[in-house]
Amino acid sequence: MTSFDVELTVNGVPRRGSVEARRTLADFLREDLGLTGTHLGCEHGVCGACTVLVDGEPARSCLMLAVQARGADVRTVEGLAPDGEMNRLQEAMWDSHGFQCGFCTPGFLMQITALLAESPEPTEAEVREALSGNICRCTGYESIVNGVLLAADAAISHE
Amino acid sequence: MQHIAERYTGASVRRSEDPRILTGSGRYVDDVRLPGMLHAAFVRSPVAHARITRIDVRAAAEAPGVVLVLTGEELERSLVPGPGIAAMFSRGAPVPAFTTLASDKVRVVGDPVVLVVAESRYLAEDACELVEVDYEELPAVMTPQAARDPASPAIFEDLAGNVLMHSPVAVFGDVDGAFARADRVVRADLRQHRHQNAPMECRGVVCSFDPESGELTVHSATQGVHIVRTTLSTALGLPPEKVRVLAGDIGGSFGLKLGAYREDVACAAASRQLGRPVRWMEDRLENLTFSGQAREESFEVEAAITNEGEILGLRVKMTIDTGAYPGMGTMLPELVKTMIPGPYKIGALSFEWTAVVTNKASYVAYRGPWASETWVRERMVDLVAMELGMEPIQVRLRNVATRETPPRRMVTGRSLAGVTAKESLEAIASTVDLPSFRRLQAGAREHGRYLGFGVATYIEPAPGPLEGKGGGGIMGPEQIRLRLAEDGTVTLFTSQMPHGQSHQTTFAQIAADEFGVPIEQVRVVVGDSDLVPMGFGTGGSRAATMAGGASLHGARALKARVKEIASHLFEAGAEDIELSGGSVAVRGVPASAMSLAELARAARAPGRLPPSLAGDVEVTAAFDGGEGGWSGGSHAAIVEVDVETGQVRVERYVVAEDCGTLINPAIVEGQVRGGVAQGIGAVLLERSVYDEETGQYLSSTFMDYVLATACEIPRIEIEHLETVPLDADVNFRGVGEGGMIIAPPTLCNAIEDALSPFSARVLEQHLPPARILELIGAIPAG
Repeated sequence: MTSFDVELTVNGVPRRGSVEARRTLADFLREDLGLTGTHLGCEHGVCGACTVLVDGEPARSCLMLAVQARGADVRTVEGLAPDGEMNRLQEAMWDSHGFQCGFCTPGFLMQITALLAESPEPTEAEVREALSGNICRCTGYESIVNGVLLAADAAISHE
Repeated sequence: MQHIAERYTGASVRRSEDPRILTGSGRYVDDVRLPGMLHAAFVRSPVAHARITRIDVRAAAEAPGVVLVLTGEELERSLVPGPGIAAMFSRGAPVPAFTTLASDKVRVVGDPVVLVVAESRYLAEDACELVEVDYEELPAVMTPQAARDPASPAIFEDLAGNVLMHSPVAVFGDVDGAFARADRVVRADLRQHRHQNAPMECRGVVCSFDPESGELTVHSATQGVHIVRTTLSTALGLPPEKVRVLAGDIGGSFGLKLGAYREDVACAAASRQLGRPVRWMEDRLENLTFSGQAREESFEVEAAITNEGEILGLRVKMTIDTGAYPGMGTMLPELVKTMIPGPYKIGALSFEWTAVVTNKASYVAYRGPWASETWVRERMVDLVAMELGMEPIQVRLRNVATRETPPRRMVTGRSLAGVTAKESLEAIASTVDLPSFRRLQAGAREHGRYLGFGVATYIEPAPGPLEGKGGGGIMGPEQIRLRLAEDGTVTLFTSQMPHGQSHQTTFAQIAADEFGVPIEQVRVVVGDSDLVPMGFGTGGSRAATMAGGASLHGARALKARVKEIASHLFEAGAEDIELSGGSVAVRGVPASAMSLAELARAARAPGRLPPSLAGDVEVTAAFDGGEGGWSGGSHAAIVEVDVETGQVRVERYVVAEDCGTLINPAIVEGQVRGGVAQGIGAVLLERSVYDEETGQYLSSTFMDYVLATACEIPRIEIEHLETVPLDADVNFRGVGEGGMIIAPPTLCNAIEDALSPFSARVLEQHLPPARILELIGAIPAG
């Protein structure tokens, strides 16, 4: 099968590879670049575990081909704490007991990163709406929502 | 941020799992990379029930990158025949013969038929497309009614028909007398639909056989490494000590990932044949279609009651649809039987059950596997209240056993020591002001808005009162090993295999308190069958009591050992040794202080200690559950039903739970909320649907098997009761399953209450909008 060259930036680092046209961005990140922080939960675009940022926008890396990310600036969960220090969102999730098994976590963190970039002080309803494309099977979401609100320095309202 | 606490136990200590999970550096089975690793994919049956008449793998074997293609017949030659893990859970039911890969027949859509191993998953799947299998289709047996029909085609030729087992009628108390005394009898046929565990991580395994040493190393997503070791070593005919099972982070399970599955056995055999690592990661289609399903049970129930609302007795007939291959389906009815009286004074019970085989995915454990006892009982209590025009919470308060008055046992024999159903119901009543809700509800109805209130109560044997007998409940005692490492840290080896439960935090809290070191100095090791003690693993809500208790007693034993060593080193009495702040000293002689690291090194130094103490500072301990105790509580929901659309909105959800002493409140609350969310999803969204004609599975994506999102799950208010310590030391009780046990009846009760103006009776657990519209008569029942 024909291979195509791909050059892109991942977490600020220029990366290149040679991939088949059918190779998903998720497999390229996980298998070819060894960035296993991005997880595959359904491989049909519903669960959101594989969400990464492509040029700042959340994207399902299971539904996107690696060749479609040519020239793009991709951010994954590994890029949130590059020097080993957790960022504010990660700290807030730690404080909020945000997650349990951790499998959906990378997708949520990237989705929330995009949300907070666009809307630094979201309401709880806005947070829930923004997270409605990510499935967590463990937590019932309240702790995740609390983590987002804490990260945004929003007061936690029980409304 | 550092949490400073007098004691870690009882504080919402931040999780030690989180630094890796939040940074993408967790290691799940799909992240395992071994040199020379190959990738497996399975050709699976596209039909529910058929004979295999021909398999042609020639084209697949020659496809690019393909290393091995195995049919069922070929694979079987390298295996030891036997029922595998099925035997463990069958509990006396007949276990039919079948091969690891289907060879003569397929019995469910998704049944694995051919294994393809290739250089990449892409190439393995390409080659699967080239495998030709001819099927001679047989009628699919898709319902218990069909399975009971003696004319239905036998799914397993060596079983006498498709009824797997029919129990004798078990009678507790004077059932006939109770029904003779009754003022009324309330009857209902109740049914639970087929749920899915649907962990976010599918199943997966990496098997690596070393031809030099003859050892098999298995990386598995599992709830317990030793069951995987046992099942694989048995199937492959390897001595158990030649099989090492490793598990890293696990992306949820909820009962699904117990033991080695047929795919795991096939991959292990392929790795042995090839001498190379073989990896299989289930995809979501395989997971939803084939991995396992749960809960499909139906009940015929009669309740003998008085006009005052006393429940005198129950007659129950249960039918369980175990699906195709043996799973947990014949183990559960006996648990349901024992637990169905719950915390109530019900004085008489007759119970019989039937398990049938159908062409559906196998029945597996799912969070509170016996939960139908609670759903059925709590539904019946509300139907009794409806019959009598009473407030459902009053019927409950009238019938629940209290600690002050007899009986002290369920009619089925289990002790009710420490049961706090009354307390949790009263807590709910005071949190939700019911009289004012009833006024609000009446007012809303006048404006065409339908609000409902539902309450339900449960107890869970996690592990239940042990009445001085110990034994640890049905899964036995829990072992633990603790070692003082040479850097002064306490390393705790547990057979628990957390998959979201945060055991690496909670056991460390307990051990740090008991041993007397900062929590950062306790390391919890899981997931290596060569290192951790033999045990069942994580399940049955047993970790809190059993492994929490083992952590406490193990830390106590390690402390005693350290003091004994110190007494030799210091030439002082052990009772004069103090251990605090990471060092030991002779009481009153601060200058004698020696760090734990120094002590561990001294113990290993030649000649410093008598042989009985020299070497690693290590202890093993086993905990039998002590006095045990119930976990339980009451939940309440307030819902609004939109009678135009059939949509149900959960407006408020209130929990009063009692899991004894809290180890980590935030973790307990996470378990409760997660369970409730699954229960809400099960009632409003999730359902495994089969085409009853063809046996095709129709819920094979997350667009069809719909999981709840942050928009459907409300905030959940939780009150903790820590009522009755039964044991001198260990009163932590399991809380992992409770939310999923009690949320479905809570929600069903609330929905029925909301629909009371339509005289709707809720007899099934799945209530999506279309069913709501049927219940109120807006559309014809279909």
